[in-house]
Amino acid sequence: MNRRNFLTQSYLGLGGLAFSAMAAPSMSEGPMVPKPQHLIAKAKRCIFLFMEGGVSQMDLFDYKPALEKYAGEQIPKPEGTVGEIATFSNAPNRVIPSPFPFARQGPSGRWMSSLLPGMSQCVDDMAFIQGIKVDNNNHGPAVYHTLTGNMFPGSASIGAWATYGLGSENQNLPGFIVLGDRRGAPIGGASVWGNGFLPAAYQGTLFRSGATPIVDLKPRVDMTPKHQRDELDLLKWLNEKHAAERSNTGELEARIAAYELAFRMQMEAPELVDLRTESEATKKLYGLDDAVSEPFGRQCLLARRMVERGVRFVMALHGAGGDRWDDHGDIKGRVPKHCKEIDQPVAGLLKDLKARGLLEDTLVVWASEMGRTPFDNNLVTDKPGRDHNQYGLVVWMAGGDVKAGSTFGETDDFGLKNAEAPIPLRDVHATFLRLLGLDQNRLTYLHAGRYKKLTDIGGKIITQVIA
Amino acid sequence: MNLHRCLTPLLLLPGLLGAAPDAVFDQQIQPVLTANCAACHSGKTKTSGFSVATVDAVIAGGNKHGRAVIAGDAVNSPLIEIIKGHLTPRMPMGKVLPEVEVTRIEDWINHLKPDQQAQAKQDWRWAYRKPVKQEPPNVANAKWVQNPIDAFVLHKLEEKQLPPAPAASKRQLARRVYFDLVGLPPSTGEMNVFLEDQSPDAYTKLVDTLLSDPRYGARWGRHWLDLVRYGETSGLEGDGAIGNAWRYRDWVVDAFNADMPYDRFIVKQIAGADEHSKTRNNYAPDIQGHIPVAYLRLAPWDRSNLVADDVRQNYLNEITTATSSIFLGLTIGCARCHDHKYDPIPTKDFYRMQAFFQAIKVEDVDVPYKDKAFADFAAAKIKEYEEQLKSGPDKKALNELGKKLLAQLIQLKTADVKNRELTKDDLRLELRRKDSTVFTAKERQTHTELFEDANRTQDIEERNALDSIEKTFLKRLQQAVKTGKADNAARYQTLNLEDLKLEVGKASKNILPKHEVERHRELAGKVGLIERRIARLKPRTLSVTNVPGPPSGPGLPLTHILKSGDYRQPGEAVEPGFPSAITGNSEPAALESDRYRQFPTRGLRMTLAKWIANPENPLTARVMVNRIWQYHFGRGIVETSSDFGKNGSLPSHPELLDWLATKFIEEGWSIKAMHRLILTSSAYRQSSENTAAKDNTIDPDNHLLWRFERRRLEAEQVRDGILSLSNRLNSAMGGPSVYPPLPADLADAARYGREGSSMWESNESEADNRRLSIYTFQRRSLPQPMMLAFDAPVFSESCERRSVTTTALQALSMMNGDLVNEEAAHLAERIATDAGAGASTRITKAFETVLNRPPKPDELKKFSDSGYSLVSICRVLLNSNEFLYVD
Repeated sequence: MNRRNFLTQSYLGLGGLAFSAMAAPSMSEGPMVPKPQHLIAKAKRCIFLFMEGGVSQMDLFDYKPALEKYAGEQIPKPEGTVGEIATFSNAPNRVIPSPFPFARQGPSGRWMSSLLPGMSQCVDDMAFIQGIKVDNNNHGPAVYHTLTGNMFPGSASIGAWATYGLGSENQNLPGFIVLGDRRGAPIGGASVWGNGFLPAAYQGTLFRSGATPIVDLKPRVDMTPKHQRDELDLLKWLNEKHAAERSNTGELEARIAAYELAFRMQMEAPELVDLRTESEATKKLYGLDDAVSEPFGRQCLLARRMVERGVRFVMALHGAGGDRWDDHGDIKGRVPKHCKEIDQPVAGLLKDLKARGLLEDTLVVWASEMGRTPFDNNLVTDKPGRDHNQYGLVVWMAGGDVKAGSTFGETDDFGLKNAEAPIPLRDVHATFLRLLGLDQNRLTYLHAGRYKKLTDIGGKIITQVIA
Repeated sequence: MNLHRCLTPLLLLPGLLGAAPDAVFDQQIQPVLTANCAACHSGKTKTSGFSVATVDAVIAGGNKHGRAVIAGDAVNSPLIEIIKGHLTPRMPMGKVLPEVEVTRIEDWINHLKPDQQAQAKQDWRWAYRKPVKQEPPNVANAKWVQNPIDAFVLHKLEEKQLPPAPAASKRQLARRVYFDLVGLPPSTGEMNVFLEDQSPDAYTKLVDTLLSDPRYGARWGRHWLDLVRYGETSGLEGDGAIGNAWRYRDWVVDAFNADMPYDRFIVKQIAGADEHSKTRNNYAPDIQGHIPVAYLRLAPWDRSNLVADDVRQNYLNEITTATSSIFLGLTIGCARCHDHKYDPIPTKDFYRMQAFFQAIKVEDVDVPYKDKAFADFAAAKIKEYEEQLKSGPDKKALNELGKKLLAQLIQLKTADVKNRELTKDDLRLELRRKDSTVFTAKERQTHTELFEDANRTQDIEERNALDSIEKTFLKRLQQAVKTGKADNAARYQTLNLEDLKLEVGKASKNILPKHEVERHRELAGKVGLIERRIARLKPRTLSVTNVPGPPSGPGLPLTHILKSGDYRQPGEAVEPGFPSAITGNSEPAALESDRYRQFPTRGLRMTLAKWIANPENPLTARVMVNRIWQYHFGRGIVETSSDFGKNGSLPSHPELLDWLATKFIEEGWSIKAMHRLILTSSAYRQSSENTAAKDNTIDPDNHLLWRFERRRLEAEQVRDGILSLSNRLNSAMGGPSVYPPLPADLADAARYGREGSSMWESNESEADNRRLSIYTFQRRSLPQPMMLAFDAPVFSESCERRSVTTTALQALSMMNGDLVNEEAAHLAERIATDAGAGASTRITKAFETVLNRPPKPDELKKFSDSGYSLVSICRVLLNSNEFLYVD
């Protein structure tokens, strides 16, 4: 069964025939109805992989052999960073070369760390943006900036913007789904997938691992499906009678429909997270056979199942609490572990999407909230680690119109910041919207006297990473 | 009923959103015009007098062709004619606009209503001029007029030949006014008292009763908390508690209950304890004034970022922006980086306004409890907790476990060292030993000093010095061990409980057994919880003070205009001053100060507060009466209730708004007086059904109030209402916030937190799970899912009007969630007891309790025939639209 067929069938089939007749016309109404792109773009949906904690770019992607030469020495004070770098511990800034070997990969010849054997096989599908600057050097504000375009809470998540602009293809599932790390919530909690000033309809829905992916999805233990259906029928009878006695009933009728949809979602959502129908080979591809990569592998596989079913935006979060990419100490011990957790799953996702023809119209974004410094942050430990670096974020994208195998932005010899002017994060956001066919200046919402945009004052689209 | 039309998927109906006057224009039309025309036709360039900056400007057109848009008639609108080349020169110059864009603009024009066009002609600067009280107009149907409000409303309706709706039934009215004033439905007893009261003033009496009900303060206080972005955690980095914000929450509730005059209410929040005396030396302001100024502390706040000036500037920006929009309906925040695009607010005015806040020192203050009973309660409770800390079972268990684990740690470390290279950590332990055979007392002393200095100062030189000595020492120690000159075990005896804490606190690779570490964490979490409970009851409150200023401190830093809002690019210095759009000048404000200028930093905020809370201020009273109106009717007279500027909507009833604003001031800024006036009007008492006008095309959206607008309950009303129906609502008011249990499957999201083992606590007493929702702890990163689903704001930004969405997630929480299911069972039990045996008496009682009316015969029959249990019936009724909506 090809994907389109599947979509149609899952859409009409789930609620049974009784609902299919009602469901069809609904495509023309409601906030999640599919909306046309502003601009032509291949990507119709997005999987956003977010690594919390600040990924050490020079241990993964940004090969800096010069660091060897300076090992243990203090690097010259960086210019133009106005105390934003290395302020965290005001340390002596002693350079730590990456302890991991790098090698060139694929026809594009990109240098990749040996920690990423899986992703190394996919470099020719990726486009890298290096030396991105975020607005703040600490996790909370930087996470908000990366995921909502503003370093303070209260703004709309990128997923909310995407669904506000594009709606969603599957009306039986939320249009914006968040796959959390089972170890805990991200630093900004629900605000990073919140609707902010946009209508509540665009907030992300958190899916948990396990049989109850959505809060309150499952009926109580003493409630049989038949009993619930009976109650809902009585409720519907009462509600329809109530509406018949009134005028201006749009909202009342919408609520009647919402109960039917909720009832269908109770069936479709568990099926969505049930991986038993996936082959062993697929599970292996995503690293589900290894306890270390299994959790994120599951998130990545679920993400594929979701976009396959027409969910517009899936955000998969990696890292929480003490187990995030915040490697102030022990680069040698911690970074390989984080990498192992994600490498096979991410590579599996890219390969699987490609094999199924989904990569063509699915944008995959990989990001963290900041990069790390090339030097030790000297937290009086024997196992050196790296400090926060708001100038060092690396983001890569794949799929859709992404120019495969390209790189934009070159960092200095130390990998500390961009060799030329820093790339503002809003440029990356503008590019991301463009790749989804959204024009940053048209995707606006009037709030508090201002037309709010994801890119705030507007970003420059990075055409170098667009095919 | 047409289900085909209405079945909207998943997330439905933005409902009564506070959107722009013309959302289609904003979202679809303006971006096209801006992209293609703004080079020559921006608000600044205005070639041929035409600008695409605003909807009004586009409609108004330019010098050559005049009005560019004729509502409902795209074909004859010059805008379309010129785009299509029927008028020359064809625009945009040298380009042809794509067909799809042209169609979109045509659609917008064809759907434009004439009254929107008429509104465009009104002067948008109306709000900056002082309101003038006009006599209520004469109306034909004089007997409909209960008070002047009705004259203004009816006058507009008669102009459009729309009849007002008939009066709502007594049942409808009672349900409406109960939810409106106390946030809860009437009990069957309360309903019966009202129904049986046949006196002409029965309704007025009911309004008075509800206005003096303390739950009124909780309901209307909640509206205010939405506005002031009330939250109890930082929202950033760890999302820790920001201090005892609950004192402010209680102050707001009390202020509403006491009908504190609104001008005083403003002054207290902006300038509490910023008072001075013109006659007395050493005047000490009222310490209680430190509670309401917590208003200035409520925004999300990140103190961990080390660029302190940046944090400070962000803080000042936020309170300047919030104060302008909350009290004045001015979107002054837009002028932070550039002159306001739409309103006459230059950047300079943003910083002149900000200068009033320059003296603020962010700090908590001890404010004694005024209420003696609460003070005694808190003292007793603190004592009890302190006892628990000293000798409670958890503390005891923690101590014992600590001792045991420390012994284990010493043993493990001692064993472990044999298999590995010595590290700095080992060295530091060795250096603790008085009887070290490797290091002399002097060397140990030198190291201790360097270590402490380096850690304290974080200075590079100190760090390097420490590092260098440690390297040398470590080599010597390693050598000594190799040659057998050092005891390789003794140093681990110096490990202490602090070291144990560090070991247990490690996220991974603990040397100690996992279950012991978990147990230690759990116990420490419990002890930490007691410590936090003590802190919450201490009279320390979230507040601000002023920096001292000369002679005891340096003078106030100057406020500079910041280029692009960047704290690193200060420009011209400015004096504190009011927005020139309102005052008509840019003169510095005459500052309030004490006679002897003993306290040079005092009085800045007071100057601003008194200017805002002044009858002469054209905005303050208007903005507040409009908010009151909005909460009663669901929509303000000005729909954008925090934006009275050019982008805001124009008032639907400008004369009424001005009449209410002046009346508000005449009534001594009494909010309750405004409630009485509005609630006793015929306009408020209308039915939500108006058969005579229901399909009218003149005002389909009911801006002119030809009926009452039916409304869905807000999140708090849903939860508190259900608890009150099952008779299990805990009516206690005030005090530290409570933690109703989270849904079980949300527990993982609450696991990590800096304040201990969990982001969410449990209540000491089960009854606290059932308090009014306003008392639920407002953790910014962990909103209650059900509240969020029902559009409760996330409390990070000021929310002037809640959206109303209809989603499947709401349905799921109502069908399967704990609240409805648990309370349906309690409700059923209650009804069974009250109604006795007999299915139909029970069903009747259930309808009367939940829907405030008896069932109709067909309903009684249908429900009886269903044979469902009483719990099922209660669950169905609680899920019904009739319960969730107020007519």
